[in-house]
Amino acid sequence: MEEHKAYIESGILELYVLGQLSAPEMLEVERMAASAPEIKRELEAIEIALEAYAIENAVDPRENLFNELEAKLNPVQQTSFSIQPPPPVRVEQRSNKSLIYALAACVGLLVVSGIALINAHVELGKAQQQIIALRTETDRYAKGMNVLKQTNTELQTVADMIDDPNWAIVQLAGTRTSPASKMMVYWNRKSQDVVLDKSRMKLPENDQAHQYQLWALVGGKPVDLGVFDVKTDSAQILLRMKEIPNAEAFAVTLEKRGGSVNPTMDQMVVFAGVSI
Amino acid sequence: MRALYDMYGAALLGVILRITQHTELAEDLLQETFLKIWHAAEKYDATKGRLFTWMMNIARNLAIDKLRSKDFKNSGKNQDIENNVAVIDNQKKQIINIELLGLRDLVTGLKPELSNVLEMVYYNGFTHAEAAEALNLPLGTVKTRIRTAIVELRKQFN
Repeated sequence: MEEHKAYIESGILELYVLGQLSAPEMLEVERMAASAPEIKRELEAIEIALEAYAIENAVDPRENLFNELEAKLNPVQQTSFSIQPPPPVRVEQRSNKSLIYALAACVGLLVVSGIALINAHVELGKAQQQIIALRTETDRYAKGMNVLKQTNTELQTVADMIDDPNWAIVQLAGTRTSPASKMMVYWNRKSQDVVLDKSRMKLPENDQAHQYQLWALVGGKPVDLGVFDVKTDSAQILLRMKEIPNAEAFAVTLEKRGGSVNPTMDQMVVFAGVSI
Repeated sequence: MRALYDMYGAALLGVILRITQHTELAEDLLQETFLKIWHAAEKYDATKGRLFTWMMNIARNLAIDKLRSKDFKNSGKNQDIENNVAVIDNQKKQIINIELLGLRDLVTGLKPELSNVLEMVYYNGFTHAEAAEALNLPLGTVKTRIRTAIVELRKQFN
C-alpha cells in the first residue's frame, strides 16, 4: 500500500496520461495499473480531470468542418494532409486500364491454350484408337493372307492331283441315313495317300461327343483310315488321312469321338465304290 | 464518427488551438486528428486508458509536430533570437493569444509556478525533462508540480 502511494505521489501517472513516458516506462505503468486497483483508479481520475479540463476549454469548430472531414474520409486515398502532390491519377488509371487489358489478354490466351490442349488431347486419343484399329486390321489381313496362301497352296495341290493320273477321285454319295451328304476323296494308288477335300464336302457338323471316321473296304472288310471333324468355319481344304494300298470302296460313319474299331453301319453317311 | 466528433471535436479543437494559436491551422489539424483516429482506431486499447486521453494525445502530437515543422520552415531570419527567448516568448504569446481568442483559462487559477509547468508540458510540446532544463529546476520538482497542478484541476472538476 505504502509502496503504491509513493508510486502515485511520484507523478509518473500524470506523465503517463500526458504521453510523456517512453515505451518501457509506459509498460511499467500499465503493469502497475493492472495489478493495483488504487493505481488504476488514480490513473482514471487524472484522465477524467484532464478530459474535463479540455471539455471546459472546448472551442466549437466552424460549422461545415465535419462535412469537409467526411469528404476526406470517403475517398480512401487521403489519410493525411501530406504536402505530396496527389498522384497523377490519369496515368495511373491508364496504366490500370492497360493492366486490365493485359490481364484480360492473358486470361484469353490461357483459355485458348486450354482449349487447344484439350483438342490436342482428344485428337491424340482418336489417333491412338485409329492406330489400334489399324493394327487389328493389319493382323486380320495378315491372318487372311496366310489363309489365302494356304488355300492357294492346297488348291494348287488339288490342281496338280487332277493332272496326275496316279490320283483317283472318288465321289462319295449320301446314304439313306443322310441322303443330302456327299464327299470327295483323293486316293493315290501309287503313293497310297488318301486326302479328303473339305471344300467339296457336304456333311452335317458333328458335335463334341462324335467324330466322322473314314473307312476303306479291303477284301470286304472295313479298314480304319482315321477320324475327322466337320466345321463350317475351318479354312483348311485338304485333310490327309491314313495311307491305304488297296481299296474297293470308301465309306464314312459317325462314330464316338476318337473313332471305333468297327464301323457302326447304321451311322454310315456317305459311301462309294472305287471304279477302276 | 459523427458521434465522436460531436462529443469530442470541440474539446480537441480547444487543445489544438491552445497549442497552435491559429484558428485555421487548428481546424485543419482537427480534421487531421480525426482522420488519424479513424485510420488508427484498431490501435486504441481500452484497457490502457480512456478514449479521450488517446485522442487528445494524437491531437497534441499532431499539433506540436506541425508547430515544430512550421517553426523550422519560418526560422530562416530570426532563428538566433527565437532560440534565445523561445520559452519566455512562447509564454507571453500564450497569455496574449488566450485573451485574444477569448478562451477561458482555468490554468490561470493555479499558482503561476504550477500553471507554468503544465502549460509547457501540455501545450508547448516540452518533455518534462526539457521543461526542467528550461525552468532550471530539478526533474523531481517538475514532476511534483505537474502532479500538484493536476490534483488542483481534479479538485475543481469534482
